[in-house]
Amino acid sequence: MKTVQFSVTSRLVGDAAVIYPKGYLNNLSGESLVKECGIYIGKGITKIVVNFSETDLINSIGISLLLQIIEDLKNIKGTICCTNMSKFLQDTFEMLGLIQYMVVFPVESDALQYLKVGKV
Amino acid sequence: MPSNAISAENFLNREAELSYLKSLPELKGKALGGNVFLEGARGMGKTELLKQLHRALFWEDNVVPFYYSFKTANQKGSYFAKDYFTRFVRQYISFVTKDSSIADNVAVPLQRLMPVISSLGLCWLIDCIDNFQAHVSKNDFYWQLVAAISAPVVAAQKSGKPVVVMLDDFDAAEHLYESSLDDAHGLISLFGESMQNRLCPHVITGSAGALGAIFTDHSLLGMTEQMRLGPLPEDLAAALFKTHLATLKITCAPDVRLTFLTILRGNPLYIRNLAKAASKMQKKELTEKDLVECYGFEVSEGETAFYWSSVFRRYVQSPTKRKAMVKLIMHAIENEGMEDRGRLSIVSGLCETETGAILDAMEASGIIRDKNAVFQDFIRALYMREIESRKPSDVREKIESKYLSESEASCFELVIPMSSNAELVVAKAVEQIGINMNLESEFLNYLQLALIEICINAMEHSGSYEKKVFLKFIARPNRLEIIIENSGRPFSLDSLTEHSVEEKLRMGMKRGWGFKLVYAIMDSVKVERINDRTRVILTKEIKNKEVHP
Ligand SMILES: Nc1ncnc2c1ncn2[C@@H]1O[C@H](COP(=O)(O)OP(=O)(O)O)[C@@H](O)[C@H]1O
Ligand SMILES: [Mg+2]
Repeated sequence: MKTVQFSVTSRLVGDAAVIYPKGYLNNLSGESLVKECGIYIGKGITKIVVNFSETDLINSIGISLLLQIIEDLKNIKGTICCTNMSKFLQDTFEMLGLIQYMVVFPVESDALQYLKVGKV
Repeated sequence: MPSNAISAENFLNREAELSYLKSLPELKGKALGGNVFLEGARGMGKTELLKQLHRALFWEDNVVPFYYSFKTANQKGSYFAKDYFTRFVRQYISFVTKDSSIADNVAVPLQRLMPVISSLGLCWLIDCIDNFQAHVSKNDFYWQLVAAISAPVVAAQKSGKPVVVMLDDFDAAEHLYESSLDDAHGLISLFGESMQNRLCPHVITGSAGALGAIFTDHSLLGMTEQMRLGPLPEDLAAALFKTHLATLKITCAPDVRLTFLTILRGNPLYIRNLAKAASKMQKKELTEKDLVECYGFEVSEGETAFYWSSVFRRYVQSPTKRKAMVKLIMHAIENEGMEDRGRLSIVSGLCETETGAILDAMEASGIIRDKNAVFQDFIRALYMREIESRKPSDVREKIESKYLSESEASCFELVIPMSSNAELVVAKAVEQIGINMNLESEFLNYLQLALIEICINAMEHSGSYEKKVFLKFIARPNRLEIIIENSGRPFSLDSLTEHSVEEKLRMGMKRGWGFKLVYAIMDSVKVERINDRTRVILTKEIKNKEVHP
């Protein structure tokens, strides 16, 4: 564990937004994650990829803020893909029954391909 | 005659006391002393010392030993008189004939012993018996008692051989009565005459608290000195424990140093009981950890627990009042002392008068004076079982964990402020502890998550003024225990109820997942409330697969 200050960056790949949360995902950082997604959704983006490769720790409040994103995307019939999750993160999402609301891929490129052509 | 004294070589560390007691007849003859009040905590070996004295005198044949235990005696005066008298006669004949079966055979009526007595030429004893019977047939309560109590004096005077009178647990004699409880105070002072006799040294036992009252009775004060039986020294305590183990065919694991035994504070009763507990728990090769486990069993369900429970029953008969007493003692243990009775009646849940009566019984029994870890653990166990209705296995585990954490385990404490990201400090700490314990990193992630959840829960919901979270990590080879404590509001049950994701989505609820995670991650999660503090105890068994090879 080498916890860094949380930050979130993003980029647009075609019609999909890729979000990179970095560090400890808690209430504060969760909020900024939601905000970042909100900006894209506001611009009409319906496909979001969250790349968790640099997320090292989480807490339940941070996780629950993901629900906000899921909810927002649901309202516009959008899709959320999660990638590069550690086994720990994936199992935790599973434990909370969250996994069924997202599409999980091992790596970001798989998710982008899926969003583009509907399959990997 | 007191039966089954332990063998002389197993009777440790009382040489000085024993030889002093043996010299009492001589001292009393020269008016240099005479009566001894043998004082000592319960189980310290008062009865055993009397048994040893009895056996020694019995075989040396210069002084007649008479042993009487008030513990099991009937307190109705006329029964007591008959019992005391017949036991004396039996023990006397047994001494003369060196046939101990006469003393042991309580069922044989005195009449049947008449031929033996005649053949021994003890005419005075026959007169003595006739005299006693006459009082009995006249139903003369007072004279029956006097005749019984003075029988040893008569014997000493008639035979010229001193009689050492051993009155074990003499405090019970205070409750002798005529026909209903407490109708005849002060019958105990009838012993005064016998105690003053030059040919009859008395050795009296009882707990200090209990006998205090008796010694305010001037007729008994006279020539009585105090002898204190202290604990066995540490090395002898360990030796005694090993002797018991050997008898029970239990060995010690090679590296066992028996350090835990110090908790028994050299009390031979506790030492013996712990060895027996090991046998009951079918231990073959005892480790330090086994010792703690046996101890947990012993103070919660074993002989020591039974012993103390029966002491309680003797002093406080009603179960409701006994429960109240347990609360009071627990309170005293936690607060190191007792305050005024008004406050204490809140603790006991009974009115002030009833509480007062219980406190008096506690005082009389001297149990408050027996301040030792074993007694306190017995109280803790009893409290958990009877007041908190916990399962026996739970109770044992609690007692054990108290000691395991202090001995074998390595233990870390941490205090964090209730400020943002402070929980990350905890996460870092548990990570390093996990590395020290060779735990797998993924498993550590879970552990971190669980701890983070508990900490943020405390920070968000407790409303604590102290604004601190106290953590204690107890790392054992096969288990990690983490205790998290903070002041403030207890968990609302809401934070413990689960909602599905659909529900959460529907209700716009984004919180309340913390405990679900914690329960899923840990093997056990216990939440306790102590006054205004909330304590969460997390445990995780460390199975082999979580440990790096
Ligand atoms: N000096 C001693 N050495 C070894 N064992 C002892 C010794 N004194 C007492 N014991 C044993 O300890 C137990 C408790 O002793 P006991 O005489 O009943 O205590 P008390 O009468 O003071 O309550 C008995 O099993 C006894 O045999
Ligand atoms: Mg005794």
